[in-house]
Amino acid sequence: MAALYGEVSWFCCGNSWGPCGSTGHGSCGTCNSGSRQHAWPNASDACFAITRPDRCGENLLRRTCGHVHTTTNRCNGKAVATSIADCGPQTDLFCGERTCCGTVCGSNRVIDLTPSAYSAIASLSSGLTPAMVS
Amino acid sequence: MDRRRLLTTAVLGGAAGLVGATALGSLSPEDVWAAEGANAKINPGDPDPNFVEGRVTAVSDAVVFVTSSDGTYHSIRVTTGTSIWKLNPSTLDEVKVGDGLYARGVRMPDNTLAADSLWVNIVNLNAHVDSIGRGHLNLDHHGQRVVAHVEQGRSAAVYNNTPAVSDMSMLQAGKHVKVIGAWHPDTNEITISTVYAAV
Amino acid sequence: MPYTVQALVLGAVLAWSGALKLFSRYAPAEARRTALAGLLGEKAVPAHRVLGGAELALAALFLAPPALTAEAVAGIALTTGFLAYLTYAAVAAPDASCGCLGSRPARVTWRAFARAGTLLAAAVLALFATGAWYTSILDGRAIALVIGELALVAALSPELDHHWLTPLRRLRVRLTHPLASGVPVIPLDATVTQLVRSGAWRATSALVTSDVTDHWDEGEWRFLAYTARYDGEAATAVYAVPRLRYDPGAVRAALVAEDGATLYAVDGPPPGEVPSWALTVQTPEHVRT
Repeated sequence: MAALYGEVSWFCCGNSWGPCGSTGHGSCGTCNSGSRQHAWPNASDACFAITRPDRCGENLLRRTCGHVHTTTNRCNGKAVATSIADCGPQTDLFCGERTCCGTVCGSNRVIDLTPSAYSAIASLSSGLTPAMVS
Repeated sequence: MDRRRLLTTAVLGGAAGLVGATALGSLSPEDVWAAEGANAKINPGDPDPNFVEGRVTAVSDAVVFVTSSDGTYHSIRVTTGTSIWKLNPSTLDEVKVGDGLYARGVRMPDNTLAADSLWVNIVNLNAHVDSIGRGHLNLDHHGQRVVAHVEQGRSAAVYNNTPAVSDMSMLQAGKHVKVIGAWHPDTNEITISTVYAAV
Repeated sequence: MPYTVQALVLGAVLAWSGALKLFSRYAPAEARRTALAGLLGEKAVPAHRVLGGAELALAALFLAPPALTAEAVAGIALTTGFLAYLTYAAVAAPDASCGCLGSRPARVTWRAFARAGTLLAAAVLALFATGAWYTSILDGRAIALVIGELALVAALSPELDHHWLTPLRRLRVRLTHPLASGVPVIPLDATVTQLVRSGAWRATSALVTSDVTDHWDEGEWRFLAYTARYDGEAATAVYAVPRLRYDPGAVRAALVAEDGATLYAVDGPPPGEVPSWALTVQTPEHVRT
């Protein structure tokens, strides 16, 4: 696919501690916070009905469980390859939101990485980072 | 404190013999990572051996013992170079049994994780603001109520893409927010580190 | 009188609910969010429509003469069905939307049960009706009862909260300022977000391996220290960030070795200078996919 520019964040899955205790293993049934995985907003019809990236003008391809995307942090150039394990983020709740590093900006939440994948390219204490997804 | 003075002097240009970027050579991530080999061997979808998730079961001098949600045990070695996030940059003294954590580092031959970073009790919630009370937000997080406390001087808000500020007064009931915060173990309460909101 | 006007209450609520399920353009999306979708898959969308049609038909029966016991029996059957569905949803798909009264997503909570219970009670009372609802509606007490019941149903509907509850809560916040800050302070995160927007960070952050290890203030500067790795050796990356003003272009960086030698120092490249990797569209070669 052509490269997609947007915001990346992180989410927990796999019955971890705290508010993540009841999250389960995601819509693909394989999601774990410690694995190199991600959530994708167009993983199925039911998923798309919830996330609705089209309402923000994002035309995301249908990619199902296991598909591999590479996410590059546009603040530092670090990249990580992950496979789809859940549905998300809920793009339409934050249409038009922007995150920048200097003149490099990303708009709309298009991908959520697991903590292990996100921490490979950014600090978990930073909630949002401009990213390129390919 | 001496180290702080040394670093202050170095960054403000007081030190002799500064080296420019060109003299140091390329700092591109490709070159750095090729040298470190940090990311090369992990396939997408696989567990990351250089990462640990779980709850603290014991803390000794420089080692944190953790049980992951899949039941596996891990030893995490903490050095002076390890960053410990527990709402604020913290020290090992503040890591307690029962805390949840994420750790990234390098797996050693003896299977311990030499930690670069620990994030203790950190949570990233996408939630709906049900109401706002004195010094806290009442959040609906996937149907669960979460009380998010504001700590004066520490909690910050990012409205759209503006720089983070301590002023929380633009948050609105009925809107969605993203919250990076520190969980209070075994409760439904957190303290806000940064809240991201659209206004 | 309390019995006869129940047909009006049930008719009004079912007409509202049925019309939204049948005619709202968001209804198909809402149907896919309901617990019904877990049960029926893609068939949830037509099933949601059929339910809307049934609700509208029953609403017409309630509102149009004559008043029949069969209407009340059908009402009891439908509202009992609602309760059974809510129980299923709460157990099988607690994250799914109710899909009950309206096209806005609303999880199944005690309010949904209370609302379905109210409608069931109204249907049971309607069994004892002795005439059509319009024969007793001119009575003041009857009007008050109908308005009261409809208000109760509305109050129990999270789908309508944005019309009354949210504005009320916002008004309370405006009046009481519960999050007002007494001291103007610069939170650490404000400094960190300024740092990551700087050219100095872009030029050096690939070497950084940790989160913030130390921070201190001195005059107009706030200093942030990170652990870094250069040429396989541990080092400290230290940044000086303007504390009281927003000026990412002024951020300075230095890389200091364990022995105290300054390996690298930068005042910050021009903010407009963007490295190629920040704009590249190819997959970086150093990532194995």
